[in-house]
Amino acid sequence: MKFYVCIKQVPDVNAPLQIKDGQLIQDADRNILNAYDASAVEEALVLSEKHGGEVEVVLAGPEKAKETLRKALAMGADKGTHIVTNGDEEFDSYSYAKILAKFFSDKEYDFISCGKQSQDTDAGLTGPMLAELLNLPYATNAVGLEYSDGSILVKRQGDAGQEMIELPSPGLVTCSNDMNDPRIPSLKGIMQSKRKPVDTISLDDFAADAASEEVKTKVLGFEEKPKREPGKKYEGEPEEIAREVAKLLDSEENVI
Amino acid sequence: MDEKFDCIIVGAGVAGLAAAMTLAKNNMKFLLIEKGEFPGSKNVSGGVLWGSDLNKLVPNYWEEEDGGWDRFINHRRLTFMDEQSSFSVDFKSSHFNEPPYTGVVVLRSKFDKWLAGKVEEAIAESDFAMDSFVAPNILVEEVLEEDGKVVGIRTGEDKFYADSVILAEGVNNLLTRQVGLQDKYVPADHMLTGVKEIIRFDQDVLENRFQLYGRSGMSNEFVGHATNGVEGGGFLYTNKDTVSIGLVLGLKDLREKEQTPYDILNHFKKHPAVADMIRGGEVVEYSAHVVSSGDKRVMPEKLYKAGLMVCGEAANLLMNAGKAIQGMDYAMRSGILAAEAITKAKEKEDYSEASMKSYQDALEDSYVMKDINNFQDAVHLLHDPFMVDKMPNLICDFGRNFFSIKNEPTKKARNMFSDSVKKHASYWDLVKIGAKGAKAL
Amino acid sequence: MSTLLTVISVNDGKIKRSSLEVLSRCNELAEANGLTSAALVVDANAGEIAEQLKSYGPDAIYTIENPIFKNHLNTPVLKALSIAVDHINPQLVAFASTESSKDILGALAANKEAGALSDMSEFELTENGVKGKRPVMASKIISSVEATGTPVIISVRSGSYDVVEKSSDASVEAIDFSFNEEELRITLKEIISSSSDRVDLSEAEVVVAAGRGVKDEEGRNMISELASVLNAGIGASRALTEAGDYDPSLQIGQTGKVVSPQLYIGVAISGAIQHVAGMANSKVIVAINKDPDAPIFDIADYGLVGDLYKILPPFIEELKKIKQN
Ligand SMILES: Cc1cc2nc3c(=O)[nH]c(=O)nc-3n(C[C@H](O)[C@H](O)[C@H](O)COP(=O)(O)OP(=O)(O)OC[C@H]3O[C@@H](n4cnc5c(N)ncnc54)[C@H](O)[C@@H]3O)c2cc1C
Ligand SMILES: Cc1cc2nc3c(=O)[nH]c(=O)nc-3n(C[C@H](O)[C@H](O)[C@H](O)COP(=O)(O)OP(=O)(O)OC[C@H]3O[C@@H](n4cnc5c(N)ncnc54)[C@H](O)[C@@H]3O)c2cc1C
Ligand SMILES: Nc1ncnc2c1ncn2[C@@H]1O[C@H](COP(=O)(O)O)[C@@H](O)[C@H]1O
Repeated sequence: MKFYVCIKQVPDVNAPLQIKDGQLIQDADRNILNAYDASAVEEALVLSEKHGGEVEVVLAGPEKAKETLRKALAMGADKGTHIVTNGDEEFDSYSYAKILAKFFSDKEYDFISCGKQSQDTDAGLTGPMLAELLNLPYATNAVGLEYSDGSILVKRQGDAGQEMIELPSPGLVTCSNDMNDPRIPSLKGIMQSKRKPVDTISLDDFAADAASEEVKTKVLGFEEKPKREPGKKYEGEPEEIAREVAKLLDSEENVI
Repeated sequence: MDEKFDCIIVGAGVAGLAAAMTLAKNNMKFLLIEKGEFPGSKNVSGGVLWGSDLNKLVPNYWEEEDGGWDRFINHRRLTFMDEQSSFSVDFKSSHFNEPPYTGVVVLRSKFDKWLAGKVEEAIAESDFAMDSFVAPNILVEEVLEEDGKVVGIRTGEDKFYADSVILAEGVNNLLTRQVGLQDKYVPADHMLTGVKEIIRFDQDVLENRFQLYGRSGMSNEFVGHATNGVEGGGFLYTNKDTVSIGLVLGLKDLREKEQTPYDILNHFKKHPAVADMIRGGEVVEYSAHVVSSGDKRVMPEKLYKAGLMVCGEAANLLMNAGKAIQGMDYAMRSGILAAEAITKAKEKEDYSEASMKSYQDALEDSYVMKDINNFQDAVHLLHDPFMVDKMPNLICDFGRNFFSIKNEPTKKARNMFSDSVKKHASYWDLVKIGAKGAKAL
Repeated sequence: MSTLLTVISVNDGKIKRSSLEVLSRCNELAEANGLTSAALVVDANAGEIAEQLKSYGPDAIYTIENPIFKNHLNTPVLKALSIAVDHINPQLVAFASTESSKDILGALAANKEAGALSDMSEFELTENGVKGKRPVMASKIISSVEATGTPVIISVRSGSYDVVEKSSDASVEAIDFSFNEEELRITLKEIISSSSDRVDLSEAEVVVAAGRGVKDEEGRNMISELASVLNAGIGASRALTEAGDYDPSLQIGQTGKVVSPQLYIGVAISGAIQHVAGMANSKVIVAINKDPDAPIFDIADYGLVGDLYKILPPFIEELKKIKQN
C-alpha cells in the first residue's frame, strides 16, 4: 500500500502575534507541522506498519519549511518531496491544490491524505480540491481509518453523527486531529531522518504554470479581533456565588 | 546508527548550545538533546547576555538582520526605590555603540532557537554532517555509568552511548544530583524565583520613551521597594518593541512573608517610576523560572567525573550582585570550556576523571570563577535586609531633600544626608554596611 | 438578472437555521443591488423543504430531489450542485458552514474553477466578486479577504446574520437530475451514531459545555440536569470527546463546532484558544472553574471560581426556582 501525505508548515498560533499596518507579524517566527497533517502522517504510519506499505510526504513551501518535512520523516515517513516556493507568493488553497495535482499527475499511489484544514487559516479546501483535480473519490473529516482488501474504511465525523464510508484505491481522505495522538519523534527517529531521501524541486521549474495563474482569492489585511472585556469573578462560598450568578442571569441578562 | 558519539550534551540552553557550537567547529561527533518542544521554548532570562563570547561562537553575529538578539546595551541604570521615589545612578556611553557589543538583550525563545539554527549550520559544515544531531522534545532520564565512568544516557527505553556527557540542564539539575555531584536536596533559602512579563509598545513609542536609536537599548536594575520588602531585586530591559520587566525574589523570604511573586510584580509595576516607563503597553507574555542564588556554598564542589562535565546553571554558575544578573554569559563560557576540554580529551583518548578536571581548572582560571569568588561577599550583601529596606529608603529620602527647593533656607547636603540616616538607620549600620561593601566590591 | 444562490442545508428533514441566516443576508444584498436571491434545496424530500422556504423570502426556489441524498455521500451532492450551478449560473453560491458543506466546498470550487472562501463571518458583494471577513489563527485574528470571478463560492459561520422572516410567492423549479449507483465510487457502510433527538448544538440558544474537570458519572449527570433545566444544548471540550465521555459531534472549537448562543456555560473548561475559537461569539459567557487563573476567565462575563461539584447543585436549584416563577 502506498500512502502519500500532503503536509504543510504553518505558523504556531500559540506564539506571540501582532498586527502592524494590517500585516500579520509573527514575533518569533515559530512554525510547526500543521496539527491535522501530523494526525494524517500518524495514521498512515499506523496503517503501513500494520499492513505493509510505504509512506511518502510532500510539502510545498519555502526553504525554511524543510524542518517540517524532517519532522514527518523523523516520525517515520519513508521519503519526502519538498516543492520549494519563494515564500512570498500569495497562494491560496487552490494554488496549492493545483501544484499538488501537478506533482501527483505522474505518481502511482493507493491513497493520498491531507489534513482536514490548515491550523492557521482553517480553510479546509485543499483536500477536496485536489481530489476533484485528480478525479479521485474522497472522504473528509476522518476520525478513524482501517484498511481492508484494497480499500480504506473511513470513519468520518458529520454534522450530527459519525458514519463509516468505504473508500476504494486510489482515493483521497482528509484527516481530523481527533483521529489519534501523533507520535513525538524519538531520538532514533530524529537520527534516521537525516539519512532519508528528500527530493527537492523548485516550483519554478516544475509547476510554473500552476503557480503563475491568477490567484482567485486574496487576503487584503488583518485586524485584531475585538477583545471581550472580562466580566466579574465571583470567589467565595460556592452556595452563595452560585445563587447570586443564577439570579443575575435572570434579572440582569434575561437569558434564563 | 548505533555508533558511539564523542559527546552527548543534555540541555540546549545557552550552556549546551555554546558547547555544541564549539564541538561542531572542532569537528566532533555529538548529540545535543533538549526536552523542550524546541530550544528555548521554556527558557527564561531577563535578559542581557553580557560580554563578547557570542562573537566567538557566531562571528559578526550583528551583521545578520534577523539575528537572535534584540538590542545592544549602551545605557545602564541602577535605581534605588522607596515607596514613592526613586534615585538612580545612570550611565550612558557612546563607547559601547560599536560591535563587538558588551551586552545584548535577548528573548530566549527566539535567541536559543536562532543559536540552535547556527549549530545546525555548523554541523552541516563539519565532517559529521550526517552524524551529529540536535534533537528537541526528548527528555534525558538517566546518565549511564559503567565501571565508574559515564558512558551515555537513557531516554525512555533507548540508550545512547558516548565517550563523554556534558550536563547543561540548567538550574533544575536532576541529573547532576543523580550522578552525585550535588546534594539531592538544596535548601530553599539558596534558591530564588524569577518572574517576568513582556510588555509590548509601538516601536516608535518605545524608542522615544527610552531614547533609543537604531538597535541601542537600556538596562535598568532596581533595589529597594521594588520587591515589597522581600529579598531580591527588579529589572527592566528594552527589546525591539517590547520591554522585559521582572523580579528575582528569595524563595524562603517569599514564603515567610506570605507573598506571591505575581502580586509583588504588580506592586512593582505600580511604582511611579516604573508605571511611567510602561504606561500604555500591553502585557503579551508572563513567565516564571527558578534561579540559583549564586551562593558558592551551594555550588557543587566538583563539576566533573570520569566522562562527564557540568556547566551553566546546572553548576550554579550565576551571579547577582545588584548591578546585573549574570548567568547566560557564565553558561556560555563554561559550555565553551567544557567542549574545549572534551576536544582535548579526544585527542589524548583520555576521558578519565583527571582529564575531565582540566575543565574545572580552566573555569577557575577564567573570569567566571574569579568573579564568583571575588564577589561572594557582594552577593551576601545584596541579600542583607538592610539593602532591601533601609538603604533605598535612606537614599531616596536624601534625594527628596536634595532636589526639593522650598523657598526656605536650604541645608547643606551633608546635613541632609545625616538627617536621612537618622531617620532610616544608624551611623553604625552604615559603617557596617560600608565596610562590608568596600570589602565586597 | 444575476443571481445570488443560497444552498439550504437540511438535517433530518429540518432546515438548518444557519442556512436561513445566509439566505436572509443574500435577500438583503439582492434587494440592495437589484439582483435575484435564489435558494437551492438538494435533498431526498426537497419539495417539502421548498414549501417551508417560502416564509424566508427568496425570489426563486430550486430543488433537486432524489432518494440518493439520504445517504449523505458527497458524490451525488457534488454532481447535483454542479448541475444546478450550470443551470442557474449564479454570481455567488453561498453555504452555511457545516461539516456537510465543508465536505464539498473545495471540490465544487475546483470543478467550477471558482474562487472559494470558507467560514466567513461577514460578506458583501464587489464589482467582480465578494469581499468580507473570516477569522484566522484559531480565531484570534480577523482577516479581510476577497474573491473574484464568477461564480464565487463561500460558506458562512453560523450566527453571523439574523434570520429575517418574509413571505415569498416564489415558484419552485425542480432541476433535472439523474444518478445511478455506479457513479457513487464511495459507499456508506454504516451510520455509527446520529443525534437527531438532541437539541442541535449549533442552533441552541443556551449551551452547557463540559470540560476535563467533569470527570465522572456524577458530574455528567449534573451537566445533563443543568442542560435540561435551561433547555440547553450540551457541548464538550476536546478533552472529554477524546476521552469518549461525550459524543464527538458535541465538540466545540476549532476542530469541532462553532456556537453562538445567548448563553454559554463552560464547566471546568480551561479556555484553550482552540476551544474559545468555537464559542467566543456567545452573548453571555459563564465560566465555572476552580483555577482562578484559568484563561477562560479573561472572556467570561460571569466567572465562578470554585469546584463544580459544589457550585452546580445550588446553581441548578436556583435556576429551577427562577424557571418555576
Ligand atoms: C527572571 C530571570 C532573569 C534573568 N536575567 C538574566 C540576565 O539578564 N542576564 C543573564 O545573564 N542571566 C539572567 N538570568 C539567568 C539565566 O537565565 C540563566 O543563568 C541561564 O539561562 C543558564 O543557562 P543554562 O544553559 O545553564 O541553563 P538553561 O538556560 O536553563 O537551559 C537548560 C536547558 O536544559 C534543558 N533540560 C533540562 N533537563 C533536561 C533533560 N533531562 N533532558 C533534556 N533537556 C533538559 C532545559 O529544557 C533547558 O533548555 C535570569 C534568570 C531568570 C529566571
Ligand atoms: C489544532 C487543534 C485543534 C483543537 N480543537 C479543539 C476543539 O475544537 N475544541 C476543544 O475543546 N479543544 C480543541 N483543542 C484542544 C485544546 O487545545 C485543549 O487541549 C482543550 O480544549 C482542553 O480541554 P479542557 O479545557 O476541558 O481541559 P483542560 O485544559 O485540562 O482544563 C480543565 C479545567 O478544568 C478545571 N477543573 C478541574 N477540575 C475542576 C473542578 N472539580 N471544578 C471546577 N473546575 C475544575 C481546571 O482548573 C482546568 O482549568 C485543539 C487543539 C489543537 C492543537
Ligand atoms: N503547501 C502545501 N503543501 C502540502 N500540502 C498542503 C499545502 N497546503 C495545503 N496542504 C494540504 O491541505 C490541507 C489544508 O488545506 P487548507 O485548509 O485548504 O489550507 C493541509 O492539511 C495539507 O494536507
